[in-house]
Amino acid sequence: MKPIITGLTSLNRELRAVWMLLFVGLVLFIATPLFLTGDNLLNVLLAASVTALLAAGQTYVIILAEIDLSVGAILGISGIVTAFTLQDQPLVVGLLAGWGVGALAGLVNGLLVTKLRMPSFIATLAMMSVLSGLTLQLSQGNPVSIEDDTFLAIGQASPLGVPNPVWIMLAAFIVFGLVLARSRYGRHVYAVGDNEDAARLAGIEVHRVKILAFVISGLLASTAGFILAARLGTAQPTAGTGLELAAIAAVIIGGTSLAGGRGALAGTLIGALLLGVIDNGLNLLDVSPFLQGVVKGLVILVAIFLDRNSDRVRALTRLVRPRRPGSGADADTASPTTTGGTP
Amino acid sequence: MRIELHDIHKSFGETEVLRGIDLTVEGGEVLALVGENGAGKSTLTRIVSGAYRPDAGSIVVDGQDVAFTGPQDAMSHGIQVIYQEFRQNIFPNLTVAENLFTLDEQAEFGRVLVSKRRMRAKARELLDLIGLDVDPATPVHRLSVAQMQMLEMAKTAGHDARLLILDEPTAALDEQESERLFEQIERLRASGVAIVYISHRLEEVFRLSQRVVVLRNGSVALERPTAELDEREVVTAMVGRTIEDFYPKETHTRDDVVLSVRGLAGPDFADVSFDVRAGEVVGIGGVFGCGKGSVLRALFGLVPTTAASVAVDGTTYRPSVPQAAIDAGIGYVPPDRQAEGLCLQQSVSDNISMASLSRYSSGPYVHRGRERAETSRIIDQLAIRTASPSAPVGSLSGGNQQKALFGGWVLTRPKVLMMEEPTRGVDVGAKAEIYRIINEQAAAGVAVVIVSSDLPELVAMSDRLLVMRQGHVVAELTDDDLTEQKLLEHALESAA
Repeated sequence: MKPIITGLTSLNRELRAVWMLLFVGLVLFIATPLFLTGDNLLNVLLAASVTALLAAGQTYVIILAEIDLSVGAILGISGIVTAFTLQDQPLVVGLLAGWGVGALAGLVNGLLVTKLRMPSFIATLAMMSVLSGLTLQLSQGNPVSIEDDTFLAIGQASPLGVPNPVWIMLAAFIVFGLVLARSRYGRHVYAVGDNEDAARLAGIEVHRVKILAFVISGLLASTAGFILAARLGTAQPTAGTGLELAAIAAVIIGGTSLAGGRGALAGTLIGALLLGVIDNGLNLLDVSPFLQGVVKGLVILVAIFLDRNSDRVRALTRLVRPRRPGSGADADTASPTTTGGTP
Repeated sequence: MRIELHDIHKSFGETEVLRGIDLTVEGGEVLALVGENGAGKSTLTRIVSGAYRPDAGSIVVDGQDVAFTGPQDAMSHGIQVIYQEFRQNIFPNLTVAENLFTLDEQAEFGRVLVSKRRMRAKARELLDLIGLDVDPATPVHRLSVAQMQMLEMAKTAGHDARLLILDEPTAALDEQESERLFEQIERLRASGVAIVYISHRLEEVFRLSQRVVVLRNGSVALERPTAELDEREVVTAMVGRTIEDFYPKETHTRDDVVLSVRGLAGPDFADVSFDVRAGEVVGIGGVFGCGKGSVLRALFGLVPTTAASVAVDGTTYRPSVPQAAIDAGIGYVPPDRQAEGLCLQQSVSDNISMASLSRYSSGPYVHRGRERAETSRIIDQLAIRTASPSAPVGSLSGGNQQKALFGGWVLTRPKVLMMEEPTRGVDVGAKAEIYRIINEQAAAGVAVVIVSSDLPELVAMSDRLLVMRQGHVVAELTDDDLTEQKLLEHALESAA
C-alpha cells in the first residue's frame, strides 16, 4: 500500500491522474467483465477523443493563466458551417471553412483579451453566447446532414482497426505536446503564464503568444467539431453545449495549474481518458445518467484534493504504516540511510 | 517592558533553524537584529510574535513566563510586528481608515452601523501622529508602497505597542521616506517602546540601534553595544569570515563610448543626455520620483519616450519594445526580481535562457543540449547555488535568485547592462558576489548603468555618478566629488 501512495504523491503532478485512471480501471475490471475488452477500450478512446481535442487547446490557454469558455460553441458552429459548405463544395473547402471559423473565433478571443484587456473569462463567455446564437440562427435550430463520404470517414473509418478520431487525437497530442515541451513558442507559453511582466522584459511578445494560443484552441475545437459531425453523419447546432466544462475539467485533473505557468499535455490526455473511462463505466454498470454528473464532479474534487494537499496525503502514508518498535527494525536495516517516513 | 528569550529552539522537519537563542530586549532601546538570509531572523520574529511556537525554551515578559497561543495573544501583550511582506496584511480595496482598525475595534465607532465619520476622525489622529498625510477615506491600493508601510506603523500606534519588531522596513523606501520612518522609530523608542530592528543595511543599524545582535546559523554570533562595534566586525560575524572589502570596486573604463543618450524625454523626465564608455560603471542617483528608474525603463522600451537620440556602439537605436533593446545589445535587470524579473515556477535554466532562447533554436525547435550547456556554464560562472539547473528558480534563496536574474542578462552578452536596485533584499555574501559579477562585466567591456537607492553601494560601485532631480540630470559627480554627501546635496537641493 505504501509504495502506491508514495508514488501517487511523488510523481509529477501531471501524472498523478495516472494512478486515478488505473484505480478506476481496476474497480471497473472487478465490477464488470465488459470493461476490459479491446472493443470497449476503443470505445472509451473514441468517446474521449472530442473532449481530449478541446482539452488540448484549453491546456495552452490555461497554462497562460487564461481560460477559453467558447470551445464548445466553436465546435458547434464549425460543424454547422462545414456541413453547409459540403452541400455544394469539395471536402477541402468544407474543412477550411470550419477551421477558418475556429481560427477567426480564436483570433477575436485573443484580441479581446490582449488588445482590449478583457478578462478571458468574460471575453470567451461572450464569444460562447454569440457563437451559440449564430449557430442556431444559421441552422434554424435543425441538424444539417452530411453526404460527403470522405468527410464521414473522418469519424467512421477505422484504419488498422483503430477509429480515425483516435488517430487524430493521438496525432494532435504528439504534435502539440512537442510544441509545448520542446519549441520556443512552448517555452514562451510557460513563461508568460508564470509571470507576464518578466516574460515581456525578456523580449517575449506576450500578446502574440496569447493570441496564438486562443487560435490553437479554436482550431482544435473546429477539428473536434468535424469528428463529432462525421461520427453522427449530421452537424447538430447544440453539439458543443457543456463540452467546454468537460475540457476544462480534463485539463485540471491532468495537473495543469489554473494559476498558470505549470502543466503538460500528457496530463491532459490522462484527464480526458479518466473522464471517458468514468462515463463508460457508469454506462456499463447501468448507473442512472442523472447520477453520472455527480460521480464526475466527485472525481474532479478528489483530483484537485490530491493536487493541493500532497503534503497531507504524505502524512496519511505515515498513518497507514505507523512505526512500531518491532517492525521498524527491518525497515531500518533495509535502508539504513533513511530516517523513517517519507521526506 | 522587558522581554527575555531563554534557550529558544525551533526545527522544521529535520532542519534546525534556531539552536538555543538567548536574547533580552528592554523598553526604550533599539536592538538591531542582523544576519544573512536563513540565519533564523524571521523564525525568531515569528516566535516572539506568537506565530510559531518554540520547540524548547521560554519567553519571559516582564518577569512572567508566557506561552503565546497565537499572534492575537502576543498582540495583547503589546507585541507588534511589521513584516517585510507587510502587503499581505493590507486590504487593498478598503479605505485607509478601515485598514487601521480591526473589526473588533470598529465596533467602538457604533454598535450596529459603524460611524464612518468617527472612525475617520480617529484615523486622522493616528495618521497625524506618525505624519502620514493621506485622506482616511482613500482606498489603500492608491497609496504608494512607502505610504502603505507608514500605514502599518499607524496601526501599531493605534494598538499601544510595547515591543515593535520591524523586518527590513526600508526595503521599499527611498531616502526621504526612510528618514521619516527613522523619526518615528526614534519617537517610539523615546516613549519607552522596545524596538527590534531587522535590516541588511548596516548604516541604518549603526544609526538607529543601541545594541546589535548578529545571528548566524540559528545561534547568536555576536552581541554588543553598537557604540563598541564597526561595520567590519558585524559583517565578519554575519558571514563567519572576513570579507576583505565590502565593495570590491574595480575600474575598467576604456575610451570608446558604447551608449550615447541625447535629449531623452519621457513621462516624468526630460532632456536626459549622457555617455557610458566601455567598461565604465555609471550610477544614477536621486530621490524617489526623480525619474531615475524611468530613464532605464524608457531606454529598454518599457516606458514611452517622446524624444530621444540614442546610439549603441555608434549605431542608432530607437527604443520601442524590449526585444529591440535586446537586439541592440541592451540588458535590463529590473528592481523587483519576483514581480518582473523571474518566472518563479520555471527552472533556473529556463529563466537564464529566456532572453536568449533564439540563439539556441533552429526555427521553432530549441536545442536543449546546447541550451543546457550554456546555462550550466552561467550557473558555474556566477556561482548560483541550486540543487540542479532544472530546479524551479523560486526554490532558490533571494541572493541566488538575483544571481540567476543577472545570469540571464549575462548570457545575452550585452554591450550595455542596466540595472535597478541590483542587491535589493539579498544578504551580505550574495551582495559581494553580485558586485563581483558587475566587475566582471565591466572588465569584459560592458557599459554598466546602475540605479540604486542604496547610496553607499551606488557611490562605491560607480566610476561616475549622475544626479537627477525632478526629471533632469542636475549634476555629474566624479573622483573626489563622488560622495554620498555631494549626491544628497544635489538630489535634495530645492529647485531654485
